[in-house]
Amino acid sequence: MKAWQRFALSWGWLIILTFTSVAIGQYFQSASFNTLGFISIVMLIVAMKGQQIIDVFMELKHAPRLWRNIMLAYVIVIPVIITIIYV
Amino acid sequence: MIYKQLIQLWKWLKFILMPNNTAMPSDVSGAEVDMYKIDDNRKLPGDLAMWFFILAELTVFAVFFIGFAVAENLNLTMFAEGKAQLHKVAGLVNTIALITSSYFVAISLHSMRENKDKQTISRLALALMFASVYVVLKLWEYQALFSQGIDIETNTFFTLYFLITAFHFMHILLGMVILLYMAINVYKGKYRDPETENEFSGFESGACYWHMVDLLWIILFPLIYVI
Repeated sequence: MKAWQRFALSWGWLIILTFTSVAIGQYFQSASFNTLGFISIVMLIVAMKGQQIIDVFMELKHAPRLWRNIMLAYVIVIPVIITIIYV
Repeated sequence: MIYKQLIQLWKWLKFILMPNNTAMPSDVSGAEVDMYKIDDNRKLPGDLAMWFFILAELTVFAVFFIGFAVAENLNLTMFAEGKAQLHKVAGLVNTIALITSSYFVAISLHSMRENKDKQTISRLALALMFASVYVVLKLWEYQALFSQGIDIETNTFFTLYFLITAFHFMHILLGMVILLYMAINVYKGKYRDPETENEFSGFESGACYWHMVDLLWIILFPLIYVI
């Protein structure tokens, strides 16, 4: 796969995840759904989008592991903390 | 793709949480192998100083994110009413604009490495154009709220909303200045110094800063507009 194709694929995936997140928000705001499930899904999407930006756009997938780990930890730990606070 | 990405995140978590288990996952193959082995040749894109700056910025925003979530948990009704007054479509368009802008910055770095200066500049210009969409829309959002008599002193929700989004907005403006500076430097051929160890380091630093601004919005958007 060429570089621009990899970036384009990642861009498309990020857009899909963004729309999914908004659609889930719209749907579950009108329906009565348990908060844990709803927030967990939205925050999981945040982690997935963060991973795409860090690994593909920032090109940290092949960077020293310490830096990649710090960045990936950020997009996982922060959504987890937010989820815990809300539930 | 969703399955593949979840597996990737899970492998990473397993690798981090079980540091004594140095064995690579058995189902890892080909190009993925180097992700798990110790490799001193891995290179950090950009300057180390920029990465410390990025970490500092991320820490500040982490405090904002957690503060916002705690405050919302203490004032559920006020925050629900406040969020109802925000323009969700504007937030969505801003997200798309920033992701697209980040995409153009990423591919501009690629064309830079291929010595295609004109292509690099045009891609940076597109990135700036999408960043401008964000700026215009955010200002329009602020204006719409001000015209309803809503400002930073209205209540806790709007205090935090204006504080966090305006702080992020300033980062966008700084990022745009950096992107413009990068484009000018490409035009002047300043990234083509053969005596420099990593001639693209400055360009990579600027690009990573812009991706960080995008990353922050990725968390900010669902926190303020979606949840």
